[in-house]
Amino acid sequence: MSLLSTEEIVKNYDGVRALNRVSLHVPRGIIKGLIGPNGAGKTTLFHLISGVEKPTSGKISFKGKDITRMDPHQISLLGLGRTFQTLQIWGNMTVVENVMAGMHTRLKGGFLSCGLWFPWVKRTEKEALEEAKEILEFLGLLGRWKWPASQLSFGEQKILELGRALAMQPELILLDEPAAGLTLTEVGQLSERISQLRKQGITIFIVEHHMGMVMDMADEIAVLDNGELIAEGSPDVVRRDPRVIEAYLKGVRVDA
Amino acid sequence: MVDSGQKEFRKRDLLYVVPLWLLSLILPDPHLDYRQEARFRRRELFYLGALLLFPLICPNPHFHHIMVLAGINAMLALGLSFFLGYTGQISLGHAAFFGTGAYTTAILTTRYGVPPLVAFWASAVVAAALSYLIGRPILKLKGYFLALATLGFGEIFLVVVREAQELTGGVIGVFGIPWFSLAGCSFDTYLKQYYLVWGVLLGLILFSKNLIRSKMGRAFLAVAASEDAASTVGIKVANIKLGAFVIGAAFAGFAGSLFACVMSTANPEAFGLPLSVLIIMMVILGGMGNLYGPIAGAIFLTWLLDILAKYQEYSLPIYALILILLLITFPEGIGARLNIRLIYLISYWGRKKRRERVEL
Repeated sequence: MSLLSTEEIVKNYDGVRALNRVSLHVPRGIIKGLIGPNGAGKTTLFHLISGVEKPTSGKISFKGKDITRMDPHQISLLGLGRTFQTLQIWGNMTVVENVMAGMHTRLKGGFLSCGLWFPWVKRTEKEALEEAKEILEFLGLLGRWKWPASQLSFGEQKILELGRALAMQPELILLDEPAAGLTLTEVGQLSERISQLRKQGITIFIVEHHMGMVMDMADEIAVLDNGELIAEGSPDVVRRDPRVIEAYLKGVRVDA
Repeated sequence: MVDSGQKEFRKRDLLYVVPLWLLSLILPDPHLDYRQEARFRRRELFYLGALLLFPLICPNPHFHHIMVLAGINAMLALGLSFFLGYTGQISLGHAAFFGTGAYTTAILTTRYGVPPLVAFWASAVVAAALSYLIGRPILKLKGYFLALATLGFGEIFLVVVREAQELTGGVIGVFGIPWFSLAGCSFDTYLKQYYLVWGVLLGLILFSKNLIRSKMGRAFLAVAASEDAASTVGIKVANIKLGAFVIGAAFAGFAGSLFACVMSTANPEAFGLPLSVLIIMMVILGGMGNLYGPIAGAIFLTWLLDILAKYQEYSLPIYALILILLLITFPEGIGARLNIRLIYLISYWGRKKRRERVEL
């Protein structure tokens, strides 16, 4: 059974059909890529899955539960993390606080117990700090844990956003163009870390324009064009699909 | 990290950097990593000592009274700073919760003879309960709409207080509220009230300090920066906003109770829109998203209003002018800019030493 599946998803924006009957499946434990030209509806699909927007019709299920009409925070509580195409880092906090805020739902304490600093709050805060530092070490940001997040470079902020998603211990992470705007070395490091995450058993669903990265990493690729799913399968199959070449890879060397 | 891109340091910069640095020892510290720290810094101990010694250095009772009012305003500003400064929402009806606290104490002590200490806690509970009932529906609104809704709530509160004459005494208000008393000790002089108010404020500061460095503080800041991102890590944005609103109201309830005991009257004129705007001004002037900023703003504005009261009809234009000038020079609050200068100074000496080492 697949971890995430969408059935006949339709999304209309004031008469514009952004997604037309998209049905796809993300099996557990793989890296799935989602590609397509600009305006194909990739980010819209991510917004629908994470609950930021609601589909016009269709059904989305995650871990066998229907999440179509759930609020974003309920969906994330089920174990679904995401990053954003437009960076949504919390620049008013330090780097480590960004990661610790990602753990919010796992930490104990309400408003009153936090304000009175009860012993268990103290304990969980301490543990959270340690854990956040481990995540930052994994991502190579430990040296800057006390920096204001707004002072990081663009590439580091993207990685921090991944760290924040990791902090909630998700089973599935949606990465929306994680490599956009990164330098080549940073892209290399990022794909290495994503592969490590898969080894830890986290399923990854990734939207990416960086073709080389997706083709190398992904186990399965889905291709969207004009809101329709035109191909789905292993990278080799997708690479040879005439419709994909027609729609997206026109004259582009796929192995680049 | 802060001084990158700034120009080379010149000797004449010392002219303003040194006085500003001296000032920055006194003014609030907006450093981000500071939030994580549990212990009191030397600067905070300095504030504490200054507060304890202030009445001994200035024995003038009028000054004590102004500081009592400043402390009450600081509670209001501190409470609102969760909602306005940390969570990034706007409320133009904060004075209504202050009024709720004041009237709760007034009615309980004069009509039912409840001891002031019990009334003190009851005021916070009533104000918090009211803010919960109001906040549930209206916190779905954002920006201008939230501002209008809270403004409307503040006005409705005033109308209810004026019209419910049997309970609140209408426009005349409630008189003869007893002094706050604790274990047989009555707080009947300005000096005693000073220590009472600032003692309560100290407790509220400790509470706030803990709240801000816990998961809730991070959730406040997350909601302020990006609600979408907050909800994708599982933070219930509506609950966090409501929590910030209710805590602010509870603080205002405590402040209102003390205000009623100190002034011994409760009168609707004190709890209108001008006070709501004044509290917002304190938070903005002191610095948003920083704990001591609103308190500094409250002390400053209370004193300013008291000093300007001498100039009668000229006081409002002067007041406006001072506020405009301050906001132009310190757009991030009174504390924020000075610390950048301090880092600038330290980093200059650091760099100079490093340069010399390289040259050797």
